Amino acid sequence: MKKRYFLLALLMGFTLSTQAQGLLGGQVTGNIQLDGQISRADSIIGASDVLEWLLMNARADILYTNGNFSAGLRFEAYQNPMLGFNALYRGQGIANYFVKYGGEKITITAGNYYEQFGSGMILRAYEDRYLGLDNSLMGFNIQYRPIDGITLKALAGKQRFYWSYGEGLVRGIDAEVSLNSIIKPWADARTRVTLGAGFVSKYEADEVIASSVSGYKLDLPLNVGAGSFRLDLTRGGWDLKAEYAMKSQDPNAMNDFIYREGSALFLSGTYSQKGFSANVQAKRVENMGFKSVRSQSGEMLYINYIPAITKTQTYAFLTMYPYATQNTGEMGLQGDLMYKIKKETFLGGKYGTDIHLNASLITGLDTTYVGGRGTEGYTSSYFGLGDTYYADASIEVGKKLSSKSKLVCTYGYQIFNPIVEGHAGALHHNHILVADYTYKINRKNVIRFEAEWMGSDSQYDAEVDDKRAGDWIMALVEYNFASHFFLSLSDQYAYKDGVGNYYNISFGYTHNATRMQLGYGKQREGLLCIGGVCRQVPASNGLTFTLTTSF
Amino acid sequence: MKKFLMTLAAMLLACGAFAQKVVPENITIKTLDGRAVQTSVIQNEGKPIIISFWATWCKPCNKELDAIKEVYEEWQEETGVKLVAISIDDARSSSRVKPWVNGRGWEYEVYLDANQDFKRAMNVGDVPHLFLLNGKGEVVYEHTSYVDGSEEELFELVKKVAEGQPLE
Repeated sequence: MKKRYFLLALLMGFTLSTQAQGLLGGQVTGNIQLDGQISRADSIIGASDVLEWLLMNARADILYTNGNFSAGLRFEAYQNPMLGFNALYRGQGIANYFVKYGGEKITITAGNYYEQFGSGMILRAYEDRYLGLDNSLMGFNIQYRPIDGITLKALAGKQRFYWSYGEGLVRGIDAEVSLNSIIKPWADARTRVTLGAGFVSKYEADEVIASSVSGYKLDLPLNVGAGSFRLDLTRGGWDLKAEYAMKSQDPNAMNDFIYREGSALFLSGTYSQKGFSANVQAKRVENMGFKSVRSQSGEMLYINYIPAITKTQTYAFLTMYPYATQNTGEMGLQGDLMYKIKKETFLGGKYGTDIHLNASLITGLDTTYVGGRGTEGYTSSYFGLGDTYYADASIEVGKKLSSKSKLVCTYGYQIFNPIVEGHAGALHHNHILVADYTYKINRKNVIRFEAEWMGSDSQYDAEVDDKRAGDWIMALVEYNFASHFFLSLSDQYAYKDGVGNYYNISFGYTHNATRMQLGYGKQREGLLCIGGVCRQVPASNGLTFTLTTSF
Repeated sequence: MKKFLMTLAAMLLACGAFAQKVVPENITIKTLDGRAVQTSVIQNEGKPIIISFWATWCKPCNKELDAIKEVYEEWQEETGVKLVAISIDDARSSSRVKPWVNGRGWEYEVYLDANQDFKRAMNVGDVPHLFLLNGKGEVVYEHTSYVDGSEEELFELVKKVAEGQPLE
């Protein structure tokens, strides 16, 4: 009922503004997205039995803006949800609506909103439409900027859970200060300093959760708090970022209801100048899974976000075994180096050569078991390393060969521990080679070839049923013609110790902000960059179609 | 419910048709040295502006910004255009943006939109997605995707906009 009144108010707002068109101005913008699959069930690619022959996800955002005032709503329909999307999405309706006032000093949002404190270690309400994630908060969000350089935030709300909201109440405050803006003598200093701090509290009513001692229930904390401090220091090409977060006792389904406190540390150091950059990142995460409903362990209702520090890869085989952050505990180190060999040198040639090196190592924590549910769970040594979860190293060399052609070659090596996906098993060691060649025939026609190889010591095992196992080859041809169209053909084939064969043909048309794409074949889920855009795609087998437009 | 939605959509489209899209002014984005600023900082003294939404992990985005880099000086001399690159990298890769921009030698004005507030306000779905603004700050053209060479077509439009000609 409440929802209906809200919508009525929105409608009245829109009507008034429509009548006032020309007097007050105002604009309506939006975007529409439609994705569909006509699938065949196929155990080979992990696309499970599909009861419905047509699966479709659709959404439309409509945003009305008039000066400092804006209001928006989003219609979503999952009839029925595509593969990889939770069945709880089934249905349709208005999934998101808000009104917002955004003035020079103050921004107030009522309704659904997205927000992030610092890098998100204690709070990040966000959405990733392609992964079916939406942690938007429903409630109030106030941002106040009293003077240039100071941002204060306060919010309260409940999190979206598919078509409803989680029971837990999330409240947070955050402050960020740019010292150069508030300390006059520092205004023009080369060193720039930004400090921030935030606090988030979650309240959830008591419930009965059995203790490991039979006949007893857990004494649950109704309020769980998390706080963080952060620092951003810049001087010329140097840049240092640090953030530390901690969380009070939070027995939940992710940590199997232990009473250990959580912590996270993130450090990043960078040096860069024109044509050269180096970046080192380190992090340690312990027991930081933070949800607004303690009994939930799925993908939704996360209050915070702890990113993986491994590089986001885009080539198919480099991204086949992606690393996912282990919120319960991990240590990570990552280094990145970019160098541009100058033009008109021996190695640089006529156009220069780009070199990009990257390496990372992620391990578990060094822990000692203390007890199960209802106890502290374990103790850990701060700098101790546990099992290797993931390691990789890659080198990418990019070279413009002529005014019409460019070649990018990549070699990557990975060690992958299947435990990060929840299965015990031997480590996988993968070698990957990629060659990516683009040739511009003329101004309106471009052809691109991509060849990839992966040698892996993993072997297909029907019991584990991991379709990624084995040695792979891949070829892709993409032809962009007449400015607006593209056609791409690709095949990925497990030629040794595996069972996969993913062939795909895609055709697309782009005009301004409208894009249509039609594909047929087998598709592995993951980040896909063809036809000039990058997007996360779900697994599919059969016909797929996509339409996106914005206005 | 359906009827209501249809009416609403029709109404919105009807009033939308008359409005010229502009860039919202009061959305918080961050500079590369971590300072929060409002989108009203995107200015170019009455000359055209290109706003390009991109990410470090997006190959076509990087191709586009690399390609424009080669000709950016000429573009600026001829038309006074300014390119503003908005990174949608989240916490996973946002600390890589500054070294990325310097390492590739981009001379653009770059901002971070880590929580994607600006992206949502501009109705951007997939990246790359760019907007061309005229001297009054109105969006006169937008485009998603990049293939090699499409920057030449973009420049034809920039020249027209700089001379105050209509695009149709």
